[in-house]
Amino acid sequence: MPKETLYLKLERCVQIPSCDVYLKDLGKLYCRDGALLARIRSRKVYTLKEEDGGRKVISVMYLIAMLQAEFPQLEVQTIGETEAVVKRVRVDRYPGALQALKICFVSGICFFGASFTIMTFHNDIGIVRVFGQIYEMITGRGSDGVTALEISYSIGLALGIIVFFNHIGGRRITKDPTPIEVEMRVYENDVNQALAETADREGKALDVDG
Amino acid sequence: MIWQQALMSVLGFGAGILVSAGVFTVLLAVGLVPRFAGRTNTGNKIFLYEEMIVLGTLAGDFLSVFPKYGQIGAWVRQQLLLGAHTVTVWKWIAGLAVSLFGLFAGIFVGCLALAIAEMLDSIPILTRRIGFRHGLGFLVLGLALGKLLGSLIYFAFHLYETGL
Repeated sequence: MPKETLYLKLERCVQIPSCDVYLKDLGKLYCRDGALLARIRSRKVYTLKEEDGGRKVISVMYLIAMLQAEFPQLEVQTIGETEAVVKRVRVDRYPGALQALKICFVSGICFFGASFTIMTFHNDIGIVRVFGQIYEMITGRGSDGVTALEISYSIGLALGIIVFFNHIGGRRITKDPTPIEVEMRVYENDVNQALAETADREGKALDVDG
Repeated sequence: MIWQQALMSVLGFGAGILVSAGVFTVLLAVGLVPRFAGRTNTGNKIFLYEEMIVLGTLAGDFLSVFPKYGQIGAWVRQQLLLGAHTVTVWKWIAGLAVSLFGLFAGIFVGCLALAIAEMLDSIPILTRRIGFRHGLGFLVLGLALGKLLGSLIYFAFHLYETGL
């Protein structure tokens, strides 16, 4: 029997609906031998236990050791991450209400937080007085508080943030991801990296000994 | 004078664009919204959160740049929009709105303050220097209680008057 090669591309973050972790959940696999590939794909790797807290870090070394023990003829080529963070996501029976509440909550923080930030900023710099002074310098008359300065400033501010966030009313201006979407990916990567390293350091990752 | 109006328009417009760039870069750099979305598992609603930031900023801008036109309470009282009991009803509505605003703004500022501290890695550096392994929870609790106490003292003893 000739040597078969299994290509394994592990993913960093894996979300599964049940407690059982199968090899096919952990990433993408390829092997020329289709029947062998099917057997490998449906191989159970781990069952999440109570003490794992719904999360487990699985090292690629463990998978290699497991596959080598079971299929001595198999050569494993890994081309992805070195650890996969498996997370169990509970499928709620009533996802609607709580989810909506959470969304409202975060939206509220974003809305009021942003308005508070801009108001405190304006207060800090004393924007009404600054605009009044500039108005007086240019026109030589006192300002009544609503002038071309304030209006164009507000338009500029609106335009600036809309261009910055790259969308308005649910519609994208260009195809690029928005800055917060980019930040979200960076944050996810950081969290998963930290989880993998912590589990490794505490010896809680599913790994080979030594 | 048309040239005066034009000059002021250009001035104001440029100021607005630069302020939005500056203020929002700070907000984004500390990565607050991804954290909220990550914690609540609502990463697919980021779009909505961004819109909320945009709308919130515009509302705040309106209220603080045109304070004359932001007198909602006075207007409602004057127009008697809610019938004969306008003053009483409005007192409750306004109280609720103000508490909501305070609560959410407080959460936002609290997160922002700690996120900025975290960006400078002050907590990891401190814990490493003093060889501190366990009880990070107490440290965070202490920080939160300290902020609460400081905030209450600030308002109760009129510390804000020193900044005027």
